[in-house]
Amino acid sequence: MAQTQTTATAVARPPITAFSWKSAGIAIGALVVFDVLINVYERLYAFSKGLDYTSADYESYWMGMLFAELVLEAVTAAGLWGWLWMTRDRALDRLSPAEELKRYWALGLFVLTYTYAAYAGASYFTEQDGTWHQTVIRDTDFTPSHVIEFYQSYPIYIIFGVGSLVYAMTRLPQFAKAFSLPYVILVGSPAMIFPNVGLNEFGHTRWFMEELFVAPLHWGFVTFGWGALAILGTWLQICPRVLSLINHIYYGKPIQSPAEVMKNPQSSVDPAACAACAL
Amino acid sequence: MQYSQVDAEARAIGRKFDLVVLLSTFLVLIAGFHVHQMLVAGDWSFWVDWKDRNWWPIVAPILEITFPAATQAVLWTKFRMPIGATFCCLGLLFGEWMNRYINFYGWTHYPLNMVFPETFIPAAVVLDIVLMLTGNWVVTALVGGELWGWLFYPTNWVMIAPYHLPVEYQGALMSLADVINYMYVRTSTPEYLRIVETGTMRSFAGGVTGVAAFFSAFVSVCMYVPWWLMGAYFFGSTKFFKTYEATPVEARQH
Repeated sequence: MAQTQTTATAVARPPITAFSWKSAGIAIGALVVFDVLINVYERLYAFSKGLDYTSADYESYWMGMLFAELVLEAVTAAGLWGWLWMTRDRALDRLSPAEELKRYWALGLFVLTYTYAAYAGASYFTEQDGTWHQTVIRDTDFTPSHVIEFYQSYPIYIIFGVGSLVYAMTRLPQFAKAFSLPYVILVGSPAMIFPNVGLNEFGHTRWFMEELFVAPLHWGFVTFGWGALAILGTWLQICPRVLSLINHIYYGKPIQSPAEVMKNPQSSVDPAACAACAL
Repeated sequence: MQYSQVDAEARAIGRKFDLVVLLSTFLVLIAGFHVHQMLVAGDWSFWVDWKDRNWWPIVAPILEITFPAATQAVLWTKFRMPIGATFCCLGLLFGEWMNRYINFYGWTHYPLNMVFPETFIPAAVVLDIVLMLTGNWVVTALVGGELWGWLFYPTNWVMIAPYHLPVEYQGALMSLADVINYMYVRTSTPEYLRIVETGTMRSFAGGVTGVAAFFSAFVSVCMYVPWWLMGAYFFGSTKFFKTYEATPVEARQH
């Protein structure tokens, strides 16, 4: 086979330990534990302390939680995004193939963590909000389930989504000098679900107190949820470059330099270029 | 030996990337598809008394062929994987059951037979098979879309049938599902009988389900086409836009 002739390459290989699941395991594990604890809190105090907005209990058990989480989320977002930006790679055109492949792995785990957080927010906690609303009377926009769904689970996935995008833009040549249409949709569209809460709450406050889930008032959430499909285009951009890197590092096949990719990222997802270096 | 080690290492890393792609796609499609489904057809999905023979077979299929069509457009044309529809619908069912069991049943204590979700898996398998056999998305829209609409009610019938049995309750004729609805208080849930099943919907006896499925199949075909196109050319796009700084000076001047 021709491949056996390309065994010895001068390209440095990354250690196999660099492709560990550990960081995603810790991040997703922490999110799962956090989500379970939040569910326990909700079971303990939603019905017992969260049915009367004017009560002192409500103030301490739910509004206190709301203010605390908003502050924590703002600090976390600023800290994470700021750190990613401040530690950006300023010499991406000289990035080694091994380092680039390791960074794609890190990006994959970042995106995986984002998608878990998006699942928890847009699927689990959003339908849990339906459980709550169709069971009790609404007397405030900051009802217990909203304190968790809108103001906690949504910002968490936004933090991870934007964080992954900033990571890609600051550490990978493919995303350094151009905006990826599908990636921006993948992160930006679900992120817009959070601002859409403003419309939702105004509508429910002004003219629509009951909770018909299929009401047109909710369709903004629906439209922004469609952006999840853009993960398909995002992976279609990333996979050819990852394949090229693997082929280059392990089989010695030619590859576009980081400088070329930065100059013309579209060429790195060209199916013809990808086919030329396929396994 | 050296080649084997290098090859094994490369393949192991490739498989890890495959797993990341699969898992992340599955999770985020649950998020997007579920939020879409619950806010365009969710009330029919939440409650057994909403699962009627007229509107449910229309609303649910035409609004849920969306994500399967878009996902098929990429998984089939780029990866030759005929699983796009099943992949989406499995994720949707997972997302629905997580909440129905943990929250509707475990938190607010409604019986599971009042809040179980519908299934699209049989219809999705058929949609994928039609695409795989024909290899043509237009034929899949025409044939698969029709089958998608037609199959929804029969494939859910086993679960629904017991609740459509007629009963006399306080002198009125209603279904078992209606009686369950009256037994469990849902303070802010709009009553189905009040807002949807009105007028001739109740009294126009005989054959309405077939007509509903026929209509549903027609609209499912119509929905499949734009969603396939959106999947292929928008959500599956690999377009990059250059930043202002990266745009050549000559181009900026024009």
